[in-house]
Amino acid sequence: AANDKVYRWKMAETWGPNFPIFGEATKNLAKTVKEMSNGRLIIRVDSSNKHKSPLGIFDFVKSGQYQMGHSASYYWKGKNFNALFFTTVPFGMTAPEQYAWFYYGGGMELMKKVYDKYGILSFPGGNTGNQMGGWFKKEINSVADLKGLKMRIPGFAGEVLAKLGAKPTNIPAGELYTALERNTIDALEWVGPSLDLRMGFHKIAPYYYTGWHEPGAELQFMVNEKAYNKLPKDLQKILTVAMKTAAYDMYIQSYHESGKNLATLNKDYPNIKMRSFPKSVMTAMKETNDVLLKEFAAKDPMTAEILKSIQEYQTKVRAWTNLSDRAYLDTTDPK
Amino acid sequence: MTGLILFAIALVCLFLGYSVAFTFAGISLIVGALTLGVELFEFMPYRIMSIMENTILMAVPMFIFMGIVLQKTGLAERLLESAAKLFGGMPGGVAISTIVVGALLAASTGVVGASVVAMGVISLPVMLKNNYHQPTAAGVICASGTLGQIIPPSIILIILGDVMGVPVGDLFRAAIIPGMLLIVSYALYIVILGKIRPDFCPPMIVNESKRELLVQALKDIVPPLTLILAVLGSIFTGIATPTESSAIGAVGAVILSIFYGGFSFAKMHEVSKETVKVTSMVFAVLIGATAFAMVFSYSGSEYLIEEFFMELPGDKWTFIALAMIAILILGFFIDFIEIAFLVVPILTPVAIALNIDLVWFAILISMNLQTSFLTPPFGFSLFYLKGVAPKSFKTTTIYKGVIPFILIQIAVLVLVLLFPEYLIFS
Amino acid sequence: MKTSLKIIGKFIDMLGNFCSLLMVLMILNVFYDVIMRYFFNDVSIGMQELEWHLFAAMFMFGIAYTLKEDAHVRVDIFYDAMTKRKKAFINIFGSIIFALPITLLIFYYSIDYTLDAYTMGEGSGDPGGLPHRWIVRSVIPLSSLFLVLAIIHVVLSQIQILTNNDSSNTTKHEGEH
Ligand code: NA
Ligand code: NA
Repeated sequence: AANDKVYRWKMAETWGPNFPIFGEATKNLAKTVKEMSNGRLIIRVDSSNKHKSPLGIFDFVKSGQYQMGHSASYYWKGKNFNALFFTTVPFGMTAPEQYAWFYYGGGMELMKKVYDKYGILSFPGGNTGNQMGGWFKKEINSVADLKGLKMRIPGFAGEVLAKLGAKPTNIPAGELYTALERNTIDALEWVGPSLDLRMGFHKIAPYYYTGWHEPGAELQFMVNEKAYNKLPKDLQKILTVAMKTAAYDMYIQSYHESGKNLATLNKDYPNIKMRSFPKSVMTAMKETNDVLLKEFAAKDPMTAEILKSIQEYQTKVRAWTNLSDRAYLDTTDPK
Repeated sequence: MTGLILFAIALVCLFLGYSVAFTFAGISLIVGALTLGVELFEFMPYRIMSIMENTILMAVPMFIFMGIVLQKTGLAERLLESAAKLFGGMPGGVAISTIVVGALLAASTGVVGASVVAMGVISLPVMLKNNYHQPTAAGVICASGTLGQIIPPSIILIILGDVMGVPVGDLFRAAIIPGMLLIVSYALYIVILGKIRPDFCPPMIVNESKRELLVQALKDIVPPLTLILAVLGSIFTGIATPTESSAIGAVGAVILSIFYGGFSFAKMHEVSKETVKVTSMVFAVLIGATAFAMVFSYSGSEYLIEEFFMELPGDKWTFIALAMIAILILGFFIDFIEIAFLVVPILTPVAIALNIDLVWFAILISMNLQTSFLTPPFGFSLFYLKGVAPKSFKTTTIYKGVIPFILIQIAVLVLVLLFPEYLIFS
Repeated sequence: MKTSLKIIGKFIDMLGNFCSLLMVLMILNVFYDVIMRYFFNDVSIGMQELEWHLFAAMFMFGIAYTLKEDAHVRVDIFYDAMTKRKKAFINIFGSIIFALPITLLIFYYSIDYTLDAYTMGEGSGDPGGLPHRWIVRSVIPLSSLFLVLAIIHVVLSQIQILTNNDSSNTTKHEGEH
């Protein structure tokens, strides 16, 4: 009967095999889907060692070479600028705020609008939580300290820093450690304690700055629309539910790993100085960021629509964050 | 199963003598199209692009360029000759200076192809001129040119660090003593060979007085040493990344050729064309190999390996021994990068489950992969050397020459396997 | 046949010179970027990206030139001992069975791959990066075309060796070693 048909799918992920947290989200998804569908939907996960093209995921899913992909929307900024806004924005929403925007504040609809013309369905794919501002060899005390600062910081955030006189620099991941160790670059950003420790940066850079540029980076599941439409209704539902739980699971796992690794860091490397950028620097970055966003919005009505949605939602939901989480933390656990 | 068929057919066809790159690619297409469908090759543009975008590989042509400039201007020959003369009437002098220069190159780059090619164009002619036993000459070059694989900075350690989730800095530190051990073992082998078969590595005829020699050597060593210092120095001071340091080397070589004579635009044109040819040869093999690996992997062959290791009894030493043997055997056929990406991810979780120290395990794997550069028929170093050797230089000569060095490699690997507490910094 | 051989040969030689130029430009590009970053604290991601664009075009186009120059590495244990005729057979066989199909297939699949980048107007995602990703992608189909030319060159020149030998039986082993 039609109900016994087994669907065999392949999913390409940007990450390498055994990549922690991100890679576990995809394995999780495949396992959940298999169990929930009683073996009727089987998803094989191919890591970048197999398909050899970490940033080819979009093209793979679009062309149908893979039915699914796991990556991050801002990687497709070069193809469609608006894809940028579905990962995270500097000074944007935190992970819970952003999830609320996606599912109840119109985010999913906007994402669909952007991805529709490629025949790709895009879904939230797990959040890293608030990312750290990065590892610095020197302390940043003023905007002047950003001048000429050679930093590995890709994408939009790099543009913000460039406007303030920093020099965003491309260094392949494999040479990052050497480049930072020998001062070829002065700073770099990676993720947060969850994933930074395995890179070893804490052994060579004394300053660990708190974040501003990726307050809640959301990864992305992509599904080829045609393949999706060929699935029976119940499998479609199983798939979307499984994506949602896999994404949630990645978010809490990131939280867990960050907490755990931060404890290790504090215990084994007490000399690492945790810093936040001074107010003057934050203000300058925020202002530059706002100017850039305005420029973008003026170029493309779709960008304007997305930004309007994000900014309005953020204003609204932040008021609640302030009254709830911020007030709670300030009053019960003041620093 | 498809993987096995692929190996067998490729092996047979390679011996026809058609170009390795196209044989690899062609066989992969035939086997892949028949078993998996021709659409699989829709992935090829992506795979080629990932080689084109791999900025770490940019060092390959630039170090090749540097090597060929040094060769064509005679600078390298003079260095090696006077270095060899300094070692006096001692047999094996040129070979030992080759090993020393190889070690220096290894410490300045992590790119094996570049070092082997540079050493091939620099020291092979000198050894041949001195009536060296051809296989020995080839073996010394391939082996010392491959040192870059283990001596930091090294690409394979960077890749392994990423794949196994171990900090690269730890791996670099851990690799130092095993790397030194290899260098010493190579040199020791040559010294012993010089005693047993002096005709294999004859001493240079030295007519000059010791004083003259020293002066000459000092003069000749200045330009290449400047270059090595510039390359190494640019990395250590942070002026350049290891990849970029190759550009310093290339530009530096041209500047030296202007100062020390030998520079002409015609010559530079020759050097550039030669560099293009050797580089394209290397990258064509990489593209052929990626087609090969694609069929191997998409046919699910690595799952067979995975199943095998999953069914092993949970004993640490059995696992390590079998893992080492498997990598050694795969290394006969597949490129080290493909092994690192296809097989190591399978081994790592097992190693973790068995409480094996990952740094140590990574060093073992990297030494093993280094051996794969030397093992016939597809050791990359052998191809690289063949690519720059005189046309009359046979592949079989190279095959014969590397055997003692493979044995040395394995011996040192076993030492590191047995005595990690003395040989691994952690 | 002789003239077409000559024309193709000339063209591929020109390609070789072009690749040499790209190679020199790449070295200068990287050198310039290093100097600018270290001594002038100036980094241009566009220039950094140009490095690998030059690198990629150089070796991809160079594959055809290398084939024409017979500089692709072979496992020559048996090949070296063969007669010129046998070598010619191997080269014709290898060119048609091994090299040509995969080259044509890569050409075919890389067209869409390139057009995709063109229609999406894909560019670099990094600040100051290079626009027009389709240009570097088009290196793949272009290099495949050049390679097809080089393969034709090899086949024609090897056929020439075969026919020359057939027409002059008395000097059959001329030119062999
Ligand atoms: Na980040
Ligand atoms: Na090295």
